[in-house]
Amino acid sequence: MLKKISAFFSKVKTDLAKRRREKKAERKIETFSGKKDGILAWSDYRHPGAWIAYAVGIGILIIFAFLALAPIFWLFVSSFKGTEELNDVPYHFWPQSFSLTKIIKVWQSQNLGIYFLNSVIVVVGSVVAAVFFNGLLAYAVSVLKPRGYKVIYALVMLSFMIPAVANLVPLFKEIADFGLINNYLPLCLGAGANAFYFMLFKTYFDSLPKDLFEAARVDGAGDLRIFFSIVTPLSRPIIGVVSIFTMTAAWSDLLLPYLVLQDGGMQTIMVKIYSIQSTMSTSGDFPPDYLLMLLCLSIIPQIVFFALFQKQITATSTTSGIKE
Amino acid sequence: MKMAAAEKKQYRGFWRGKLRKRDLIGWALMLPSILLFTFFVWWPLGSNIGLSFFASVGFNATRFVGFANYETVFHDPIFLKALLNTLKYVGWSLLIGFVIPIFLGLLLSEVVHFKGFFRTVLYFPSMISGIAVVIMWSYLLDPNAIGPLNAIVVALGGTPFLFLSDPHWVIPLIVITMTWRGAGGTMLVYLSALQTIDNSLYEEARIEGAGFLQRIHYVTIPHILPTIRTLLVLQIISVLQIFYEPLVMTSGGGPNGESESLMLLAYQYAFLDAGTASHASLSSATSVILSALIILFTVVYLAFASKQKKEPENA
Repeated sequence: MLKKISAFFSKVKTDLAKRRREKKAERKIETFSGKKDGILAWSDYRHPGAWIAYAVGIGILIIFAFLALAPIFWLFVSSFKGTEELNDVPYHFWPQSFSLTKIIKVWQSQNLGIYFLNSVIVVVGSVVAAVFFNGLLAYAVSVLKPRGYKVIYALVMLSFMIPAVANLVPLFKEIADFGLINNYLPLCLGAGANAFYFMLFKTYFDSLPKDLFEAARVDGAGDLRIFFSIVTPLSRPIIGVVSIFTMTAAWSDLLLPYLVLQDGGMQTIMVKIYSIQSTMSTSGDFPPDYLLMLLCLSIIPQIVFFALFQKQITATSTTSGIKE
Repeated sequence: MKMAAAEKKQYRGFWRGKLRKRDLIGWALMLPSILLFTFFVWWPLGSNIGLSFFASVGFNATRFVGFANYETVFHDPIFLKALLNTLKYVGWSLLIGFVIPIFLGLLLSEVVHFKGFFRTVLYFPSMISGIAVVIMWSYLLDPNAIGPLNAIVVALGGTPFLFLSDPHWVIPLIVITMTWRGAGGTMLVYLSALQTIDNSLYEEARIEGAGFLQRIHYVTIPHILPTIRTLLVLQIISVLQIFYEPLVMTSGGGPNGESESLMLLAYQYAFLDAGTASHASLSSATSVILSALIILFTVVYLAFASKQKKEPENA
């Protein structure tokens, strides 16, 4: 009798435990109920192996996220250290103080406002040139197709992968011969001859419905009218994409600006940083902690830009298929 | 087929037929851009090839010398080193940087928790590319007290590394910093390719009883293979042009030229070796050789691209 009762209770106990386990598993699977696609769908999360794999995956992602952020975090924290503090033994991570006056000191020591302004000039000019010239060429090649356009198309494709700076000597000589040294013009206009931006525009224009143009033409609209009243308003997304690419590229560009902008007061912020960095070990008048602070200041606009347009930027580099 | 015939017909009429108004407008719209492409791309490209066959004083060509400049660079030990190093950069970048974005893309496409957060954070380094990041890494890898990585090594009881001053490690380390910067962008491309996979394929595989690895092998990999091929070639092309990293991180190719690259050498011939005879021509010859390498891979890339177009079910 007693045996029977104890057996009954233990059965109830195991049943309850089983039900609890099942409920728990169900609740766990529920978090994946939205996951209907992918290599592992929600139903696979019944197996504990899938759970372990998932946890390991999240762990790996956390490690990579840490690796992605840690160097930048180090840069921002260390830039507040003093010159001697940087070389302290043993090494310590945090600076003695986060004094904001240091930012002002570094800013004023090099009069940074000018260089930021110069960078903004180059970036704005580049964006205008990149959108206007590549867009116009792509419109002509994709939509108008004037007789013989294929020659131009083939020539542009020929230069698709050859970077402009690979032909550095003739390009530099040409710019010098045209009297464009110490001029922002060649830096801005250079963005207007970019086979990659051209391709982005052309692919986009190719995808626009052809009936649209035909209908407008039947209604008596001229080619220029079609460009301004139909194509331009429809092109806002692709103009955004090319602008984002150009802004990042122009802000970071170094080699051509370094060669062209020889006048110290005309340098962009990246050229300024490079010329400080390449001479500081010999001249010794610019402390390394100032340089770290300068690096922070130079990438803050990019971080702000990224924060503002994060969605568009990630969508952009996804659709274009090519990273910068 | 019909299209091709129509195009052919149109082409035959190019010199004979009357120019339509539309052609004139088209060429008028193209003209400014054509001028820019001529100035920034086509003319430098052509005259660069030309200059590589001439002797030069300063930046001006003087007399035709045939392949003499190519002979000179191929006998220059630093050129041979740069050529070999450039290939080493490509090799290491394939070894280190090629699989990581695929792996991260796969992980990210499977994750449901904090997906947006991970995507943003992993892409973040790609966004702030620039000379600032390269300088930042040269501090992180500083072998002296200022460098945090050696501080960690010492704290764990190891002996400090030389990092970028170590001739055996300089290229792999530079490649690691490039991967740090580039992996996020490439990952996003893989992620978008993974998201286009038709879920019914996975369902079928599941019904057939295919396990996790089998699903990756039979469904995932075949589907993203075109993307993998494309990005492989694009990565090779972009690493061939490596320039800023050795320029800044190893003050122009050190230690002992162990991180010298072709692009960097072309720059150094032209702008730093101004005293040498025909230095501009040597620079041109070097960049023509580099361009030839790039064109070689571009042809491969375009072959892949056109193949991809023909198989839209894979694209």
